[in-house]
Amino acid sequence: MKKILTLILTALMAVGFTGCGENNNAQNSLPPDLKVGIIKNLNASENLYDDMIKKAEELGGRKVTNHKYSFYDSLTLLQMGIESGSLDEISTYKNVANYLMAKNPNKFEFAPNHDYLKLSDKFAFAMRETDTELKNSVSAAVEAMQNDGTLENLTKTYITDLKPDEDPPAVAFENFDGADTLKVGITGDLPPMDLILADGTPAGFNTALLSEIGKRLQKNIEIVQIDSASRAAALQSGKIDISFWAIIPTDTNLPADMDKPQGVELSAPYFQDDIVHIDLKK
Amino acid sequence: MELIYKIFIANGAWQTILNGLWATVQISALSLLFGTLLGALICFFRVGKIKPLKIFAQGYISIIRGAPVLMLLMLLFYGVFARSGLSPITVAVVTFSLHTAAHVAELLRAALMAIDTGQVEAARTLGFSKFQAFKLVTLPQILKIAKPVYQSTVINLIQWTSVVGYVTITDLTRVINNIASRTMQPMITIIGGMIIYLALSYIVQGIFKLTEAKK
Repeated sequence: MKKILTLILTALMAVGFTGCGENNNAQNSLPPDLKVGIIKNLNASENLYDDMIKKAEELGGRKVTNHKYSFYDSLTLLQMGIESGSLDEISTYKNVANYLMAKNPNKFEFAPNHDYLKLSDKFAFAMRETDTELKNSVSAAVEAMQNDGTLENLTKTYITDLKPDEDPPAVAFENFDGADTLKVGITGDLPPMDLILADGTPAGFNTALLSEIGKRLQKNIEIVQIDSASRAAALQSGKIDISFWAIIPTDTNLPADMDKPQGVELSAPYFQDDIVHIDLKK
Repeated sequence: MELIYKIFIANGAWQTILNGLWATVQISALSLLFGTLLGALICFFRVGKIKPLKIFAQGYISIIRGAPVLMLLMLLFYGVFARSGLSPITVAVVTFSLHTAAHVAELLRAALMAIDTGQVEAARTLGFSKFQAFKLVTLPQILKIAKPVYQSTVINLIQWTSVVGYVTITDLTRVINNIASRTMQPMITIIGGMIIYLALSYIVQGIFKLTEAKK
């Protein structure tokens, strides 16, 4: 019995090893010239992503389809990927990259031709499809803020004018007695847009924007801290009413809603940021 | 050193970490309590003679033990209890109690099986009632056999609770992740978080050691 088992195990291992070997060979036939890490788009399959990279190559004019892309759940993991050397470059938003570099002086730099893809994402609020009224009023508020310069001021305070050695300022919420409460999901995963301060309170550009929208709609805001992977589930089940969502602008030939789960509607976008690549300083 | 101070202490960060730790301890302790009680009941059904209850217990154990606890948690929070208005912590306690119960039921059953049935038969012959035989002969031995396994169940439970961030609870893991994102120093922060979890499991081990010393 023992002998038979040993034999079976040996056979299995032999098969396993040759199997692995073949895989490696197949990959080696087209060597990836660069290992790039990306934060996973919630609803985008890897096929869709391949299409996107192909289109980006046409737009950017540099060969990128033979890059090896790895998908990460959060910025923290992405950063650990590049620090450990398993990635050559990471792809993220420009303001996030600036924040990262400010917090880690002399560690990171923009990769050569860091914006060759000429891609950018817009940010919007995601709501349930059935909440049409809410969606319209939030969109209207965003547009009004765009027109009267509030949006620009907020961008300055919470993104552009941030000092490298300071955390973003805390956000105050106004309380309206007897008004409806909007529950908002905050991930804390994307500073300086979305982060949790040392004392445990949510802050950042998104949160500040939300406080302003609460004031304009005369609604109370309740913040719910949530993992970014469960945002869609939380929206659908009514645990939150609004969440932040990154979308691809419609003017870049890419499917704008590739990351949008079914049953979710997006407000007018309130911010746009370029996608850049950074690497470790040599 | 200054960096460690900045990450873990400055601006009330230590208080936030303590709050997160408290959420973790709360969920673990309550789930352990209810899980153990429910587990004992399930085990009673499982080894009992009533057929439907036995089948129920078997099904329960295989389903709960066979599925990742995160799936169960998401299912309960965003599905079953979505409209019930229960607090996230309550749902987490329910989930982890259900989960722990399955494990406790199995470890109790294993302990029961390890005891020679002849002992109970002997006690019964000597005139002990069924309950007395259980209380005086079987139970003390079960406790002794099950203890080491139970200890590792407790420690496992504490670590399983690290997924409650998915259901809007700010536990220790979530706090550590938030800090890692804000300070952009994931390595140090995560090592710090690990040390706290490690300390928790050492405390659990210490408590089990204490109960031994008393005997």
